[in-house]
Amino acid sequence: MPETSVNPHLALLPIVLPLAAAAVGLLLLRHRPRAMALLALAAMAGGVWASWSLVSAVNAEGAPVVLHVGGWRAPFGINLVADHLGAMMALMCQSVLLAGVLYARGCRDTCVRFPVFYPLLLTLAAGLTGAMLTGDLFNFFVFAELVVISGTVLTACSDHRGGVEAAYKYFYIALVAAMALLLANGCLYAEYGTLNMADLAARIADRPDAPLAGVALGLLLVSLGIKCAAVPFHFWQPDFHTTSPTAVSAMLSSVVVKLGVYGLIRVSMLLFPHADSVSPLLVGAGVAGVAVGGLGAVGTHDLKRMLAYSTLAQIGFMLVAVGWKSGPAIAAALVFAINHALVKAAMLMLAGAVASRAPVKSASFEVVAGVGRALPGAGVLFLLGGMALAGLPPMNGFVSKLGVFRAGVDQAAWLALGALAVGSLCTFVYVARSFQRVWWESPEAAVHAKPYGDSLAAPLLLITASLALGVAPQPLLSFASDTAAWLADPAVYIDASLKGTP
Amino acid sequence: MQNVSLVSSLLFCVIGAAWAGLYAWGPVRRFASVQAWGWTLAVWSACAAGVLAYLGWGPAGLMQGDGSVLRASWPWAPGLGMAFTIHLDGLSLLMGLLVTGIGALVFGYAGHYMAGKDGAWRFMLYLALFQVSMLGLVLAGDLLMLFVFWELTTVTSYLLIAYDTRDAAARRGAFKAMVVTAGGGVALLLGFIVLSTIAGSSDLATVLGAGDAVRGHGLYGAALALVAVGAFTKSAQVPFYSWLPDGMTAPTPASAYLHSATMVKAGVYLLARLNPAMGSTEPWFYLLTGVGMATMLLGAVIGLRATDLKALLAASTISQLGVFTMLAGQDTPGAYKALAVGLLAHGLYKSALFMVAGIVDHETGTRDLRRLGGLARAMPSTLAVGTVAGLSMAGLPPLFGYLAKDALIASTTHPSLPTPVAWVLAAAVVVSGACIAAQAGILVWDTFIARPRGPAPHGHDPSWGMLLGPGIPAVLSVAVAVLALPAASQFASAAASAAYGAPVGVSLTFWKGLDVNKALGLLAMIAGLGVFVGRRVVSRVIPSGPEVLLPGVLGAMDGAARRMVRVQSGFLHTYLVVILLSGAAVVAWQGLPSPPALASLRWDEPWPALRISGCVLAAAAALAMVFMKKDIHAILALGATGLGVSLLFLVQPAPDVALVMIVADVLTIVILILALQRIPAVCRREADRLDYVESRSAYRRDGMIAVAAGLLFGLVALVVLAGRPRESVTAEWFARYAKVGAGATDVVGAILIDFRALDTLIEIAVFALAGVGVYTLMRYASPAAGDADTPSPGEATADLLHTELVRLLAKGILPLSITVAATHVIYGHAQPGDGFTAGVILTLAVAFRHVALGYERSRRSKAWMRPMPLVAIGLSLAIGSAAASYIRTGSFFGHVNYGDLIGLPLPMDAALSSSFIFELSIALAVLGGGTLVIDTLSRPRDSIAAEGRPTTWNS
Repeated sequence: MPETSVNPHLALLPIVLPLAAAAVGLLLLRHRPRAMALLALAAMAGGVWASWSLVSAVNAEGAPVVLHVGGWRAPFGINLVADHLGAMMALMCQSVLLAGVLYARGCRDTCVRFPVFYPLLLTLAAGLTGAMLTGDLFNFFVFAELVVISGTVLTACSDHRGGVEAAYKYFYIALVAAMALLLANGCLYAEYGTLNMADLAARIADRPDAPLAGVALGLLLVSLGIKCAAVPFHFWQPDFHTTSPTAVSAMLSSVVVKLGVYGLIRVSMLLFPHADSVSPLLVGAGVAGVAVGGLGAVGTHDLKRMLAYSTLAQIGFMLVAVGWKSGPAIAAALVFAINHALVKAAMLMLAGAVASRAPVKSASFEVVAGVGRALPGAGVLFLLGGMALAGLPPMNGFVSKLGVFRAGVDQAAWLALGALAVGSLCTFVYVARSFQRVWWESPEAAVHAKPYGDSLAAPLLLITASLALGVAPQPLLSFASDTAAWLADPAVYIDASLKGTP
Repeated sequence: MQNVSLVSSLLFCVIGAAWAGLYAWGPVRRFASVQAWGWTLAVWSACAAGVLAYLGWGPAGLMQGDGSVLRASWPWAPGLGMAFTIHLDGLSLLMGLLVTGIGALVFGYAGHYMAGKDGAWRFMLYLALFQVSMLGLVLAGDLLMLFVFWELTTVTSYLLIAYDTRDAAARRGAFKAMVVTAGGGVALLLGFIVLSTIAGSSDLATVLGAGDAVRGHGLYGAALALVAVGAFTKSAQVPFYSWLPDGMTAPTPASAYLHSATMVKAGVYLLARLNPAMGSTEPWFYLLTGVGMATMLLGAVIGLRATDLKALLAASTISQLGVFTMLAGQDTPGAYKALAVGLLAHGLYKSALFMVAGIVDHETGTRDLRRLGGLARAMPSTLAVGTVAGLSMAGLPPLFGYLAKDALIASTTHPSLPTPVAWVLAAAVVVSGACIAAQAGILVWDTFIARPRGPAPHGHDPSWGMLLGPGIPAVLSVAVAVLALPAASQFASAAASAAYGAPVGVSLTFWKGLDVNKALGLLAMIAGLGVFVGRRVVSRVIPSGPEVLLPGVLGAMDGAARRMVRVQSGFLHTYLVVILLSGAAVVAWQGLPSPPALASLRWDEPWPALRISGCVLAAAAALAMVFMKKDIHAILALGATGLGVSLLFLVQPAPDVALVMIVADVLTIVILILALQRIPAVCRREADRLDYVESRSAYRRDGMIAVAAGLLFGLVALVVLAGRPRESVTAEWFARYAKVGAGATDVVGAILIDFRALDTLIEIAVFALAGVGVYTLMRYASPAAGDADTPSPGEATADLLHTELVRLLAKGILPLSITVAATHVIYGHAQPGDGFTAGVILTLAVAFRHVALGYERSRRSKAWMRPMPLVAIGLSLAIGSAAASYIRTGSFFGHVNYGDLIGLPLPMDAALSSSFIFELSIALAVLGGGTLVIDTLSRPRDSIAAEGRPTTWNS
């Protein structure tokens, strides 16, 4: 394998830029929200650039970019490993968070004007990206905690009255996840004497039947299941994603839940590729998620909450594909993840933009019905976003759904496919109903809509991205299938990560 | 060159759509009327039709050869096996000409129809977008590409149906059409995937060539069912048909275009398209013939009770779609001949009739057959157009519709059909033919000739431009039949051959002599006359079409959805129980270890007495914590647990861990007690009552879960212990390199500050943000949520602590703790203790000052100690120092000894190194985070009231 020619510190930039911006912003710009927003925007733009460079580097070199932090070689020090998967996920997170910061800038919530808002959004970005790039399981835990604490506080300071309660419940359940993850770390360290993921993978492959391996795997699945709101670990999600400030809920429901999906891919492809007991669990949880999320979205009475439920269903699609484990399935899950990240963030922002123009600030259908008539542009975006969620061309959602279905047909997994098809039907129902309620119904309501509200720039960017990736999907598809091919061979990750270690 | 010409018809439509979009722009709208704009759009569409005609009849066209195929392909998404392929053969040429030809007329007509209406540009744009989708569908030479355009027609038709969004019926109709056809689309997609998996490619030519493999494959049944569901939903077959009548809320030009001439035929087109690959099997025959026949009869019958012009037309369209489906199911050349002729005939007369209905509606303001009548004198030209089209629909010579009907009847009497089936088919065709003829009669007669039942509607002929829309297809119905039969025969033959998969000879003539077919046709006509005469009676006895499927499915979905939403009860307790139990199940599924033999544990560790006391202390305190009645006792017991565990660490020996554990434990206790002070006693008692007194069973259940969790942890711990001693990969390396690499004699310090510096950086960020979070919750979120005022902590402890001695201690504590902290920071690398410990010790000192001196006084005298900047400085310093290391050593977080670098001698082994700076920043961030918590919790009520709810944060 050729030595990568890029400076491996590139892998650190998407983490450190937002973190440093958060610290500096907290120090110097606490009372200058506009300057703080600009700083955040600049940091995220830098992060996007860095992660884009990572993706191109990984793509060009065909090898992971590995940074041994502080110069201490893995497994003794911590290393960051930007392989295909990590780099792709980092780029996804950074791009969506850039849009999130952009949305927050043009948003009329009270809470975005507090000095800690942008710093917390930035630490959220740092934690998320760090967790997806780190090559060390304990470091993953620490980054995940950064995500949890940032998300909790951001939700607690929401304008929504339910924010505190939702944050409290989420925090408790996240503690269960943290405990499970920590205990899994403990078990693995006790059995294998290392926490570096590459090293662990190699050692687990040597000795897969160690007494605590099963417990560790189970605990990892539980904790990652909580992180991605897999049914039945999802209870915190609808409240949490509904009550947090729009700019934040758009991040939570799009990229933050992907942390769990990412982790599950790592666990099933790198750490425990031979454990047959994982696949049925993932497929089962995915199908349950499709059912619970789809029906929940049909049954709920709030636009934001509907989108939160819809995330459960979409995560279900991804889990099913991850559970199938074949190359096309993993590639489809990744494309699906990216589509969902872009679209769900955009749709929540649109819901927020509509709610911000409603007479009472709320996303309840009773309040927002007809308000969309004052916002035809948002209607077009919402319709396109809805098409993407429902998997209709020309959006990227079609490409993702097609990929998942194809993988399913290859596996002859008819039962799961049937569930996914019914789930798709639910998607049509709730997307069309919500669109009609907000943009078509109650023509008189439009009269009462406020003339000003949250800016639509960020959702416009995100929807455009999804459209572009739907019309010209080939670059994404080929990168995703490369990713799946690399993931299928853990040795690539292990060798790159431990290269040069005595 | 051929590639370009193949795609250029689609391009003309795309340009047309862009052109339509241009009309959204105000200045353009002022410049051109809607009518004019409609005709310009018609020109684009006509150009597309012209290109197709050229490809059909031009020098290298389809009609010149032996019915071959023109193809052009570009790669699109090879990752999904999807190509952008244009596939033009007789069948797609027929459909393409319908789409573009009738499209041109509809555009011109729509301009007149929509003139003066709100947002006419929106309608034209949707219509043009629909045209692109529809043309793409029929020209697609790749199943997946076909699907893309298929779904686009669904979306554009959704928008067209609900064009008048103020109308609730339009919204309902659009929703229904969307859910039914998109739901069918899901099935179709799966069917296409199965089909292309079997054939090895989604390329149409490959699929069509793989007919034997497809029919013989085990998944043939599944593929057939899935594709059929997709086609049936789109073509409004039983039991999915009801979206089509409900979709009549679309403006009439859209109905004329989508719901008669083009989109609803997509399903039939698909079936005909795939016939060479999937047809000629018994399941295909029975499924398509059965469903098609049922649809044909249903449409024919329900149309008789319609009182709305468009509803009547919709019903006859459903019937005709049933005919097409039925024909597609039969494995005879005659059936495909009838299909091709029928598609052409129906496209011409039905679009004309829809446009006539639109004219009547536009001019008189009603489409209700009960109010219409006697318009013949006022609208003679409209009557003429309507009559020609109506006669074609009825199937009378010398109109094209007659040829279609004749071919249809001939197909049912084909000798290859099994006898009973042939009889049933023939009878059904005659019955439906009679009903359709009667419908045509009702349509023309009751609108134009019969005397109106109420006041006569007013109306007059529209402008010639508007009449051109229905006029041209009506004229073509005659002209083609009379003047161009050989050309039409060749055209239909090409289409039928492409669909049938083998050459189908077509020679259309009006009279070849009397045979059984002519007799049946005559019979149908006479019966139709009878039905028409008795239409009033008939309409009363006919039931409305059954409507079960969609309400049933949606009702079930909504019911399940309501139950599903209720599961989300809002009780954290319930959530946790479910999560913990499911989690336990997952862990158990992955396999628990078997408990080790006690003999394998080591019992000869040093200091047994200390170890045993540590264990007993921790366990007893933990039990006490559960059973203590008063919160404060429970908290103290929690502290004792922590101390017991610290004792165990200490004897391990792991002094660093023990030290951190102790300070963290004490900080926890202090924070918990301060927090407890803020919760009113009433609330605490109430919470206790609700949780444990009211619900003993919940208490027991939670107890069992806790015990189970404890057992799991215990089991894991035992297994770990039994496996000792175990060689560690990292421990030896850490011990070896701590001094060499990081200049540390304390290995733990080296791990925290150097080897795993990234962990530490993020951990202090988490700690600091936790402080920020408490601050947020208490100062901002809690007042916003309307929490009641809470008692001031100072009041409760005032008597106890406000002695002189305590005050003296409080004043002296800060310098003392700063000294201790400084030692920790400076010697973190050389001995137990580190920046974290230093930060916590300082925080505790601050807490002591707050409690002893009172919050106000404590804060006033140390105004420089502002937690938020401390947090920020700590984090910035840590990152800055790491970045400086990068500049110096090329490694972020690399170890640099700046003291040595600049030759600064430091006494007593202190070192001005990157490690020292990191320790310092840790201490600052931890102090900041901790102080944020302490400050917030010990801030008395009065100062909250005085400062009010903060709008910007100011610490």
